[in-house]
Amino acid sequence: MREGVVGGGTLPLTLPWGARAPAQKALRWRSVKLTSARQWWCFSEMKYIKCFISEIPWNYSWYYSAMSLVESQSEDRQSEEQVRYLQANSRELNSTFGYPNNTIKTSRYSVFNFLPLNLFEQFQRLANAYFLILLFLQLIPQISSLAWYTTVIPLMVVLSITAVKDAIDDVKRHQNDNHVNNRSVLVVMNGRIKEDKWMNIQVGDIIKLKNNQPVTADVLLLSSSEPYGLTYIETAELDGETNLKVKQSISVTSNLEDNLGLLSSFDGKVRCESPNNKLDKFTGILTFKGKNYTLDHDKLLLRGCIIRNTDWCYGLVIYTGPDTKLMQNCGKSTFKRTHMDHLLNVLVLWIFLFLGGMCFILAIGHGIWENKKGYYFQDFLPWEEYVSSSVVSAILTFWSYFIILNTMVPISLYVSVEIIRLGNSCYINWDRKMYYAPKNTPAQARTTTLNEELGQVKYVFSDKTGTLTQNIMIFNKCSINGIIYGYGYDKNGQRVEVSELVYQAQSPDEGALVTAARNFGFVFRSRTSETIMVVEMGETKVYQLLAILDFSNVRKRMSVIVRTPEDRVMLFCKGADTILCQLLHPSCRSLRDVTMEHLDDFAFEGLRTLMVAYREVDNAFYQAWSKKHSEACLSLENREDKISDVYREMEKDLMLLGATAIEDKLQDGVPETITTLNKAKIKIWVLTGDKQETAVNIAYACNIFEEEMDGIFIVEGKNDETVRQELRLARKKMKPESLLESDPVNTYLNTKPQMPFRIPEEVPNGNYGLIINGYSLAYALEGNLELELLRTVCMCKGVICCRMTPLQKAQVVELMKRYKEVVTLAIGDGANDVSMIKAAHIGVGITGQEGMQAMLNSDYAISQFCYLQRLLLVHGRWSYNRMCKFLSYFFYKNFAFTLMHFWYAFFSGFSAQTVYDTWFITFYNLVYTSLPVLSLSLFDQDVNETWSLRFPELYDPGQHNLYFNKKEFVKCLVRGIYSSFVLFFIPMKTIHNSVHSDGKEISDYQSFSLLVQTALLCVVTVQIALDTTYWTLISHIFTWGSLGFYFCILFLLYSDGLCLMFPNVFQFLGVARNTLNLPQMWLIIILSVVLCILPVIGYRFLKPLFWPADVDKIMNRIHLWTRHPLLPPTQTKLRHTRPRRSAYAFSHKQGFGALITSGKTMKDKVFKKNSFSFKK
Amino acid sequence: MKRTSEESQSRLPDNSALKQQQLPAYWLQLTATGVLSGFFATGVFCLGVGIILILSAKSIKEIEIKYTKICGNCAKLREDATNFDKECTCSIPFYLSETMQGNVYMYYKLYGFYQNLYRYILSRSNSQLMGTDLKDVGTCAPFSKSHDGTPIAPCGAIANSIFNDTIILSYNLNSSIPIEVPMLRSGITWWTDKYVKFRNPRSKNLSIAFAGTTKPPSWAKPVYELDQEDPENNGFLNDDFIVWMRAAAFPTFKKLYRRLNRIQYFTEGLPAGLAYTVTGAVTWLAFFSMMAIHLMLKDRKMFFTEQ
Repeated sequence: MREGVVGGGTLPLTLPWGARAPAQKALRWRSVKLTSARQWWCFSEMKYIKCFISEIPWNYSWYYSAMSLVESQSEDRQSEEQVRYLQANSRELNSTFGYPNNTIKTSRYSVFNFLPLNLFEQFQRLANAYFLILLFLQLIPQISSLAWYTTVIPLMVVLSITAVKDAIDDVKRHQNDNHVNNRSVLVVMNGRIKEDKWMNIQVGDIIKLKNNQPVTADVLLLSSSEPYGLTYIETAELDGETNLKVKQSISVTSNLEDNLGLLSSFDGKVRCESPNNKLDKFTGILTFKGKNYTLDHDKLLLRGCIIRNTDWCYGLVIYTGPDTKLMQNCGKSTFKRTHMDHLLNVLVLWIFLFLGGMCFILAIGHGIWENKKGYYFQDFLPWEEYVSSSVVSAILTFWSYFIILNTMVPISLYVSVEIIRLGNSCYINWDRKMYYAPKNTPAQARTTTLNEELGQVKYVFSDKTGTLTQNIMIFNKCSINGIIYGYGYDKNGQRVEVSELVYQAQSPDEGALVTAARNFGFVFRSRTSETIMVVEMGETKVYQLLAILDFSNVRKRMSVIVRTPEDRVMLFCKGADTILCQLLHPSCRSLRDVTMEHLDDFAFEGLRTLMVAYREVDNAFYQAWSKKHSEACLSLENREDKISDVYREMEKDLMLLGATAIEDKLQDGVPETITTLNKAKIKIWVLTGDKQETAVNIAYACNIFEEEMDGIFIVEGKNDETVRQELRLARKKMKPESLLESDPVNTYLNTKPQMPFRIPEEVPNGNYGLIINGYSLAYALEGNLELELLRTVCMCKGVICCRMTPLQKAQVVELMKRYKEVVTLAIGDGANDVSMIKAAHIGVGITGQEGMQAMLNSDYAISQFCYLQRLLLVHGRWSYNRMCKFLSYFFYKNFAFTLMHFWYAFFSGFSAQTVYDTWFITFYNLVYTSLPVLSLSLFDQDVNETWSLRFPELYDPGQHNLYFNKKEFVKCLVRGIYSSFVLFFIPMKTIHNSVHSDGKEISDYQSFSLLVQTALLCVVTVQIALDTTYWTLISHIFTWGSLGFYFCILFLLYSDGLCLMFPNVFQFLGVARNTLNLPQMWLIIILSVVLCILPVIGYRFLKPLFWPADVDKIMNRIHLWTRHPLLPPTQTKLRHTRPRRSAYAFSHKQGFGALITSGKTMKDKVFKKNSFSFKK
Repeated sequence: MKRTSEESQSRLPDNSALKQQQLPAYWLQLTATGVLSGFFATGVFCLGVGIILILSAKSIKEIEIKYTKICGNCAKLREDATNFDKECTCSIPFYLSETMQGNVYMYYKLYGFYQNLYRYILSRSNSQLMGTDLKDVGTCAPFSKSHDGTPIAPCGAIANSIFNDTIILSYNLNSSIPIEVPMLRSGITWWTDKYVKFRNPRSKNLSIAFAGTTKPPSWAKPVYELDQEDPENNGFLNDDFIVWMRAAAFPTFKKLYRRLNRIQYFTEGLPAGLAYTVTGAVTWLAFFSMMAIHLMLKDRKMFFTEQ
């Protein structure tokens, strides 16, 4: 144990300033960092709306927002400013250049410009603009058919709701701006240090920054408390990387140190580039005492960084406020829109066409009527002067009906959708079951526009490290000399004391090993390029490092040769068991057998195993070998082969020490989550930069791959052709007929369909998995192979893509989005996942240890992978169901409402006469029917969360968008037509022959209006009552309250007082009293309701009975169980049996051995204290 | 490490039923028993109501006499607009096979007269009809002012096109002596119309009150001469006028014209067996509107049948 752990454990290098980010995260996509860095005080609401010219979104600004005006102004200034000149400590000079001060402004409005600017922005939304145009149409007396207020009042309400929301957002931004601008900072002024506010800092000022303080502006580092003017900073807020970075000042300024006199007399002139958003680029020249010094980005502290491990430093302010690189990078993000948004736009277009068609029919009807009847009716109602013929009249009527039927396009649709999404996002933020106590983080819906898409996810693209796993390696067990030891207890069974030392290793595996060794009393203290200092049970020993036999994928092992203090030359080797077994000395065969058994046990527990062996080499052999080694290293031809030959010479006849088992801890509940998601037919792909072995191991551990799978394909071709063959081979096995010419997909593809086309779903003959590495993927993603890849890959249940670059991750997501009509979700935690998070329909960030990069770019942030199932199956599903119910109902109620005018046209000479009182038209959408549908779409649950999680199959309808699509929309239309038909003709026919008991007729227009609108409201209320499955008190209040409220308003609007005051506005005096006390009116209403609702109930009741979908069967079972609460079915426990997979699952990279022995990383030996940091 | 002040307070969301979506609620399910029982209950209800309504409707008797064709010569006369003030009468005898017991109402019914046209229905001034502002004729186009600019009272297309046929029902007790059936011209409007919505301008003398206004172009006499016998039925308060002003919803409509005054022979209703004559003093007629007189007994309810 003793030797083994020390020997293996001291191998990893501890980087001087702690490259804390694990090696597999070293693959970072540079441009991601540049484009996506955002300030941390940005709120999710701050996503500025940005649009694409290629499509005109209906509900969002099609013109740039006012923000862009501001931006363009500042851009103008920048384009003028080619080079920036400034002089330290010279405010007079610097002020002549007109640089902005350090105030930042993320707010968009001020008190004065709020109203005009906000209105201006809102009218750029097509929906609002439409209603504005409608309003102008209404003001034209020739075609006006509705009072102006029928449009103005709803429009005002919609606008003010949005305005209030914008105002609240902006107030938050103002508060944040104020908070930031008023932070205090120390400024050097005339030889003294003065405290000032951030916003008063100006270009050319010299400021003092202290440890753990955020940097105020972009400053040129002058001097610091550390030697050589070094300063350590953390850039997590800027680019998401948590590792410390070092900045160094030029020597001439570092000599200023903290001498205030020198600092305030420092008059260096800086000439540098104009402000830009490139975080890793800065060029400039400092002129001081007649000499020029070049400046680069290593000398610039950027705003948003935090000073670490440095007591103080002084800096010269270069860029302030809006010119800082942070602000230059801030605030722009692409706006994701859901499938539902696109569908709505299409449907609104349909409605427009439908509307146009109806208006056309009615206009023609009007023309005919005027010709046949209206012409002769002129005795009673002469035509207007401008109407010369029935054709003119018909044209005018077209527009009149366009105004009347405008409610087909529902004005409050978009604002309601926004409210619903906002509400459902709040539920995510409020969910205690997605709150992660250890990190004190609740789930966070950073976007409030994608909710229903959470209920439609078909593909999940997941990162591995930090997402599926915790990215924590723990030394769990070991087998030494044939005996298994558990972790955490010493030989006396006492719990070992954990010291404070924290290592920052290049791979977490090695970190785990070194940490374990430390805990057992073998403390790795420091290293140079030639020595390793270890404190062994309190006794300091220095090992001479002779050579490192580096790791490679082929060797799957690495060794180190050291000279012990006792002057013995020892080789220690650790590696994959399969490899190491063959290198062992025959004498340890029995030990090997025992150890192999132990390895089986370890693998059974899902641990990552390593074998450790040693060899004692005599000095002469080593010298000879060393010579060969140097020769091999220097050779020009076949160097790799020669080196590995030399290595092989050394790594033989090894004596087995034992094996280690490291637990790559999965996050809690990951396998269960994946099983649940699989049941919901969500396909999970792992896209990782990690190695294949590791990825596959994890895939098995978390049930993405299962033992009982029918086959797992590995695509690792190194060129076009092999990749194609491998893909086709895989497909042949999964679905042999898919290779035939006669396959429908093939015939479809042979027709060379126009982009964008969709590839239909193909069903394989079993459960398959596929592994593809990044290298092959690069070929597969090329034009002619991408369809091959897509078809093969989509048939697999689980897919592992390893060795992926961030860009490839995004490409895979894009590929899926391009050819499949599916919703994709990407989940990840690191900066390398940002690209795919942004590319996918929904990006989920795991708030983990790796900075905030992923989180800042995500749409939803959760702290554990297992919350994903709740996010999708509970919140997503509910949101989707609610949205669909909402839309169905919303369209239905508006159709039923509007189409009544159409029927009435045939009985009113097509004269654009409305059926209803104008006040009813004004209030219908806004007051009478808005609250019930809001309560439906905020509170409804078809089944509770327990059932949604227990029966993931319930998620299925969302994936195929079964609850609201074009077909459902047509159903709504048909239902609306039917309802309006019933609601018009039943009252019409019944009222026709009916009189009051005292002989007064009741078929006058106003009574009829009242009757029809009351019946309509009753029908739509009963309809929503049927749609609501989850009746809370609020639903009752909203639903029945709205109906009651209608009657209250009715009696108010038709009251004597109001009508006497405004006789020409409120004309319906006394109608409510005279009509609603007639029993036949109520009978008509009942009959209409019965006739409208009966078919709906019948359809809903009979459909699951005769044509049950899978969901209906499950619902039936659930209903059965809820009614007879016997023992609910227990969830099958997950089995953790898995065969042994030998794993050299190191997230290692080749080449570190050479790095260490070269001593390059050791140049800062002076700062030993930084080779490890103490836990705070 | 950072912002420790924020981290010290827990961000655990509230445990309220609303925020956790755990509000106590009732689950509505379409169960077989629920749906079927609801279905049958509705059926039984509708059936019951339907039977009651059919039975009650049986006691209602209705006679409709169309006089457009019979009074064809009058219709012809009216085709020429200049003859609007010429009187034209015609009578139609009919036979009542059985007694109409109870209250009897007389309606006039117009076919194809579009009282619901958009511009027609707007063409009135409620403030004028309320007597508050006689000069307020802004909404009355195209009948707001006469050629010389005098405001019309009552203004608007509705008022201008008032139905002003005079219908007299005579009862031939003996074959020679017709008795005019006594009819009431009051109580045929809504209370709210007669007492709230329509008011004459305040003045002792109506003709003075309406000074400064002129009669609608199609009217034979000004509004204050509509019923000179009964001041309560004159001016805007004229029942026939109020009835007409309540525009009908459909082009074919009937409006209450007179009620039977149950005195003398008619205390029981209209006696059967003998011939009646309807004499219409047709002063106004358009050839395309069919007109008819309805005689109805009691009321007639809609039919309600089981679906």
